[in-house]
Amino acid sequence: MADMAWVPTTMLDRKFVPRGVTRCTPARFSLWLTPWCLLLGLGLWAAYLCLRDGLLHTNMDNRFAFGLWIFLDLAIIAFGGGAFFSGVLLYFFKLKELNAVIRSAVLIGFLCYSGAVTVLAIDVGQPLRAWFTFWHPNAHSMLTEVTFCITLYLCVLAVEYLPVLLRNRQFRKIPSFLVFEWELHKLIPVLAGIGAFLSFFHQGSLGGLYGVLRGRPFAFRESFGIWPTTFFLFVLSAMAVGPSFLLIMTRVAEWVTRKRLVLESVYVRLARVSGWMLTFYVLLKSIDTMVWLNSTSRRGGFLPWEYYSWEPFGVWILFVEIGLFGFVPALWLMRAGKVNTSWLIAPALLACAGVALNRYVLTVQTLSLATLPFDEFLSYTPSWQEVAVFGGVVAYGVIVYSVLYRYTRLFPQEQER
Amino acid sequence: MFPGVNGFHWSPVHIIFLSAFGLVLSVLLVTLAVAFFRTLRDVRSGRAGAIAWHCDFEDLPRQERLCRHAFEGAAPGRLCDRGFDCRDCETHPKFATIETRWPVTLPAGLEYPETRLYHRGHTWVEPQPDGTALIGLDDLGARVFGAPEVVELPAPGTKLSVNGAAWRMMRNGASVSVRSPLEGEVIAHGAPGGQWQLRVKPEAGERAFRHLLSGAEAHAWVNAETDRLMILLSSTPTGAALADGGALVADLHQALPDAPWDEVSAAMFLNC
Repeated sequence: MADMAWVPTTMLDRKFVPRGVTRCTPARFSLWLTPWCLLLGLGLWAAYLCLRDGLLHTNMDNRFAFGLWIFLDLAIIAFGGGAFFSGVLLYFFKLKELNAVIRSAVLIGFLCYSGAVTVLAIDVGQPLRAWFTFWHPNAHSMLTEVTFCITLYLCVLAVEYLPVLLRNRQFRKIPSFLVFEWELHKLIPVLAGIGAFLSFFHQGSLGGLYGVLRGRPFAFRESFGIWPTTFFLFVLSAMAVGPSFLLIMTRVAEWVTRKRLVLESVYVRLARVSGWMLTFYVLLKSIDTMVWLNSTSRRGGFLPWEYYSWEPFGVWILFVEIGLFGFVPALWLMRAGKVNTSWLIAPALLACAGVALNRYVLTVQTLSLATLPFDEFLSYTPSWQEVAVFGGVVAYGVIVYSVLYRYTRLFPQEQER
Repeated sequence: MFPGVNGFHWSPVHIIFLSAFGLVLSVLLVTLAVAFFRTLRDVRSGRAGAIAWHCDFEDLPRQERLCRHAFEGAAPGRLCDRGFDCRDCETHPKFATIETRWPVTLPAGLEYPETRLYHRGHTWVEPQPDGTALIGLDDLGARVFGAPEVVELPAPGTKLSVNGAAWRMMRNGASVSVRSPLEGEVIAHGAPGGQWQLRVKPEAGERAFRHLLSGAEAHAWVNAETDRLMILLSSTPTGAALADGGALVADLHQALPDAPWDEVSAAMFLNC
C-alpha cells in the first residue's frame, strides 16, 4: 500500500523535474526538508508572538535597540550582494564563466533580501502600519533610503528570477511563456543595471547608518561629500564577499547533492574576483581604521584603547577582522588556480566570517560601549524568540533553495557532467 | 512621499528622492511592459515556435545537441550551436565534403527509405512532384510512441516553423510535441493511422531541405538514437543493458508499460 501511495507522488514529482538531470526520490527529499520545516515553524511561531505582543519577547530595549536581527539583516544583505555584483560582472564585464552560477546568484540574492525584509518587518513591528514607511517616508533618513532600495531591489530580483521559473518543464509547455522568458531575458542587462544602482545605495546606506552616529564615537567616521567612509566600505565589502558566498553555496550544494554542478574554472573565477575585491576593501578598511583611531576618535574625546578595554571586545577583535578574516583570505583567494580548488571554500568562509564580524561589531559593540560619563557597558543576549526567527529565516532560505534546485535548472552545467 | 500627502514638501531632498525612486520603478515597469508587448508581437507574427525552440535547444542535454556530422565521424563530439538549422550554417558545407570514417548499417528491423529525408525530432519528409511535402513519424519514433490515443494536428493554413511544434501526441499520460521538420503552410491532414500526418507547402528551392538527413548520414544518426533509447530505457545508470541483436518491437510503449515514457518520449522527440 505504501508503495502504491508513492506512485502518484513520484509521477507528479517527475513531471516537474527538469529533463536531463537526476534528483533524489520524493521520500528522501521530504526527509531532507522535514527538520528545516520544523525550524521554519518555530520561527513563524516566534514571529507571531513578536508581532502580536511587541518586542517584549526580545531582549532588546530602548537603550539596546539593535540586536541579533539587525546583525542578521546586515550580514545576509552583504552575502546577497553576489547577486548584483555577479550580474554586473556577467552583463557589463562579460565574464561568461559566471553564466554557470548567475541563476543561483539571483536566487540567493532574492532569498537573502526577502529574509532581511521579513526580519526587518518583525523588528519594526506594527505590521498594520507597515505601509507608513512608503507613504510618509522621512526623506532625510538613510534608513528610508535602505527601505526603498531593498524593496525595489527585491522586485528586481523577483523579475530577474522569473525567466528561470518560466523554463520549468510544465510552464514551458505554454509557448507564450517561453517567448516572454526570451524577451525578458534580452532585457536582463537593464535589470542588472538597476540592481547595481540600488545595491550601491542600499549597501552603502546601511554602512552610512553607523558612520553618521555622531553620538557613538565607536561608529562615527569621516565623510566624503554627504557620505561617511562606512558607506563605501559596506559597498566594497558586499562586492568582495558576494562571490565568496556564492562559491560556498555552490560547493555546499555539490556536497548535499553529491554532484558536480559547475566547472572548476567557475570556482577559480569567483575566488579571484572575491580575492581582488577583498584586498582592495581590507586596504581601505585598514586606512580608515588608522584615521579613525588616530584622528576622528581623538577629536571626539576618546582614546583608541578605551574602546577595547571592555571584555569580551578586546583589541583582538580588530586584528581578527582585518588580519585573519581579511588579509589572509584575500591573499589565499587571489592565488586561486595555483592552489587546490577544493580548498577555496576555506578562504571564502573566512572572508564571509570577516564581513559578518564587521557587521556584528558595528551593531552590537557600538551599542554595548559606554559613551557618556554616567553610561555603563551593556551586554545583550538574544531571547529564544530572536534566535528562533533567525533560524526560521535560514530555514526559509534552505527550503526555497532546495525546492527550486529540484524543479528548475539552477546550474546549466549540471547536465554536462 | 507624494505631493498632497502629509509630510511632503517641494524641497530639493523630497524631489530628488521621489524622482530617483520613481525613475527606478518606472524603468522596472517599462521593462516588464516592453517584454510583454514584444511577446505579443512575436506570437502574432508567428515567431513563437522558433523562439520557443531556441529556448528548448539551450536546455537540451549535451548528447542531444550533437552536430549532424558527429554521427558519421566527420566531426566527432561536435555540438551544434545553430539549433539544428543547417540551412545557413557556414561549417555544414565544409563537413559535408569530408569522407565519413565509420561504416554504418541500419539497426535490424528499422526502415528508413532512401527516398525520404529525416529530421532530428524523428519525423520524415517526402517531397512530392506537386511541390508539397508529406510529413510523418519515422520508424524509430513510431515504435517508441506506438499508437497514440490522441493526436492534435494543426489546422490547414497553419504556418509551421522549422523545429517549432508540428503536432501533439498523447498516450497513457505521456504527451509530446512533435517538431516540424519544415517551414511552410499546412495544406492537408493524413488519414488517421496512416503513414503521413501532414501535407505541407514548403518554401521553394533546395535550401528548404538542407538541414534534413538522408542516406548513410541518416543511418548513422538512427544508430546513435537507438543507443540513446537503450540507455534511456535501462533502469540503472550503467548505460545500455539490453541484449545485442534482434529487432525493436513495433510498439515499445506496450511492450514496456512500466518504463518512464513521459521522460523517454520527451528525450526522443527533443522536448524539454
